[in-house]
Amino acid sequence: MRQSGKVIDGQRLTWAAMVAPTVVLLILVNIIPLFSAVNSAFHNSTLLNTGEFVGVQNFSEALADPAFWSAVRFTVIFVASGVFGGWIVGFALALTLRSTLFGKSAFRLLLLLPWVVPIVVSARSWNFLTASQSSLIPQLFTHLGWGDGLLLADPTTAAITVCVYKIWCTFPFMMVMAASALEAVDESVYEASVLDGAGRWQQLVWVVLPLVARPTYISWLLMGIFCVNDFPTIYLLTGGGPVGATTTVVVYAYQQMFQNLQLGQGVAIALIMTVVVALVAVVFYRQIRRAHV
Amino acid sequence: MSESTFTKPLSRRIMLQGAGIAALTPLLAACSGQPSSVSTSTLGSIKPITYWDMSWGPAEYTKRAEALVTSFKNPVRYQSIPWANYLETFASAITSKTGPSASTGAGAQAFYFAEQGVIASADNLIAQMKKNGDADFLPGMLENMKFQGHYVAVPWMMDVRALYYRKSLLEKAGAEPPTDWDSLRTTCAALKKIGSYGFGMACGTGTHGWHAVVAIIVNNGEGLFTKDGQPHCVTDRNVEAVEFLLELSKSGYIDKAAVSYTNDNVNADFVSGHVGMVINQPSMRSYFPADTKDDVLVTDPLVGPHGDKGTLIGIGNIMMYKESPSIESTEQFLLWYMNEMRVFWQKGLVATLPVRKSFLDMPEIKSDPTSVAIANKWQPVARILGYKSPALFPQLNAVDGGVALQTFTQGIVQAKLDAKGLLTQLQQGLEKIIPAK
Repeated sequence: MRQSGKVIDGQRLTWAAMVAPTVVLLILVNIIPLFSAVNSAFHNSTLLNTGEFVGVQNFSEALADPAFWSAVRFTVIFVASGVFGGWIVGFALALTLRSTLFGKSAFRLLLLLPWVVPIVVSARSWNFLTASQSSLIPQLFTHLGWGDGLLLADPTTAAITVCVYKIWCTFPFMMVMAASALEAVDESVYEASVLDGAGRWQQLVWVVLPLVARPTYISWLLMGIFCVNDFPTIYLLTGGGPVGATTTVVVYAYQQMFQNLQLGQGVAIALIMTVVVALVAVVFYRQIRRAHV
Repeated sequence: MSESTFTKPLSRRIMLQGAGIAALTPLLAACSGQPSSVSTSTLGSIKPITYWDMSWGPAEYTKRAEALVTSFKNPVRYQSIPWANYLETFASAITSKTGPSASTGAGAQAFYFAEQGVIASADNLIAQMKKNGDADFLPGMLENMKFQGHYVAVPWMMDVRALYYRKSLLEKAGAEPPTDWDSLRTTCAALKKIGSYGFGMACGTGTHGWHAVVAIIVNNGEGLFTKDGQPHCVTDRNVEAVEFLLELSKSGYIDKAAVSYTNDNVNADFVSGHVGMVINQPSMRSYFPADTKDDVLVTDPLVGPHGDKGTLIGIGNIMMYKESPSIESTEQFLLWYMNEMRVFWQKGLVATLPVRKSFLDMPEIKSDPTSVAIANKWQPVARILGYKSPALFPQLNAVDGGVALQTFTQGIVQAKLDAKGLLTQLQQGLEKIIPAK
């Protein structure tokens, strides 16, 4: 007994030694900066100094700022586009790729490119295609008689362009998630539904979708978090403009912190965003647990 | 057959040994090695100082600057700093006590850090420059460097915004170079008839479109701030200036695409002839091939509707930091460097102009008519961003490149709000950044 106790203690020590570096790194890189950031949010902080204590002033000023609510509105639109728009396209492609197509493997690989290509490259490419009068898209619009095609010059079309770009970036991830979920559906289920007289659409809606509900909700949750935290997509394509039309909460927080040098308020905005995302994630997680095969 | 070292199963001890080695390796690497750019010296007792320098020109500038700095008789470490997130770079370094002894930077950077107590006074440095006869700065340059009664930096270059035009395009349009706002309007109309935009701007994130807007505001004898550095945007003269710009926009003289343009977009448009005139920095001609450089000319400063002349100027400066190992060594280095840096203009490596009269008299500057025109005609009427404040101040760091000015400039190109509405928005945006006194 003493020998096995010694072995168990030794294993625990080894386990602790293995985990310790990760825990130390987590504390150094995440926990300490998080506490420092939360502290900044309650002070009149600058880049160098914590500044004087201001209580919840940074939070109340942020919540009273129309620009903040404008950023919230666009964030909701942006996330909805990225999640549901990306899912619809990705799921449709995953279904299509289940059929026997010539060159399916190559096609599947090409469809991953928007996700694989670095965001800096793809954002600059989209900017190159849309930004000026001599860009390809405006030239095409002009030739087709659809106006000047300056998609990034107008707040509405810039917002639409950003959302379409986000769908472009997210659909490969959704396609992969959907494909793996669809692989888990037994063929016998399809056969049984056909025997019961279900058509294609009924099969999809009443059989397949419920079976892939859990991985679908997981992919929505993950993509939702990615979209909320997505800074480079917007900053590299439009910078949050024109006139703040494509500014999301994370871009707004960045602008407050590093352009307006209002560090405390920027962190307060980021914390508000974090709390909201966490609450939404909890609600969603409960929904995921309820979804069953 | 017995197991060799390579085939026996991985034991717990081996894993722990491997993890220990993996953890120590980066620590050992960090302790070794020398900085990449350090001048050598036999004076071992002198502590090396560090000089951080922004990218003021092409790659050749950085190479030349590094070579120059490290050629100093005492050890100096050179570090080139990219403009992206530059303020965070400096702030992190200063906070962690790894900051430079001296640096170039943004126009109001020295003031921002001086307010937080990390900038060393340049009073002694400037006094020594005066004693040596090296303080031959253009009028007003030194005065702009004062904060709370002390010099916080020494000026080294000026970025004056002037109005450039394409001679061939104006000839094709049958227009004359503008001399005032009315003729600017007329010239824009003539350029539009030949398919060019009259007034080029770039209003995307991190661009300089607001320079052109503030230049026009200053041209009308006003500014965005009071003498105390408080936002004061909604004035009759400013409304007049913005109405003028809105008129240019609504008349189609400003490309709507400019709202998301980068600086490169508008420069390319000017080179291609898509844009006929642009307010830009002194290096505008460098964007053109050698055989078309002479087509790019600069007007005289425009006369505003009330007879005022004015434009925007950015004054580049070098600041010293209190955490330098030796302020005296830093001052010795800068006394030498402020003279040697003439090579940047001799070799055409920087996009701006020097602030010293002796440098402006160099043949390389004198032989460029654009540089001479800017130095002699535009600089005397140029005002800093913080005008009507007599000097730069810390909060200008947030104004320069901040959201308020960017949104304001984009709003002018969009032309959906009236002038008073845009200026009110700007006022509110600036009040968020600049606490009321």
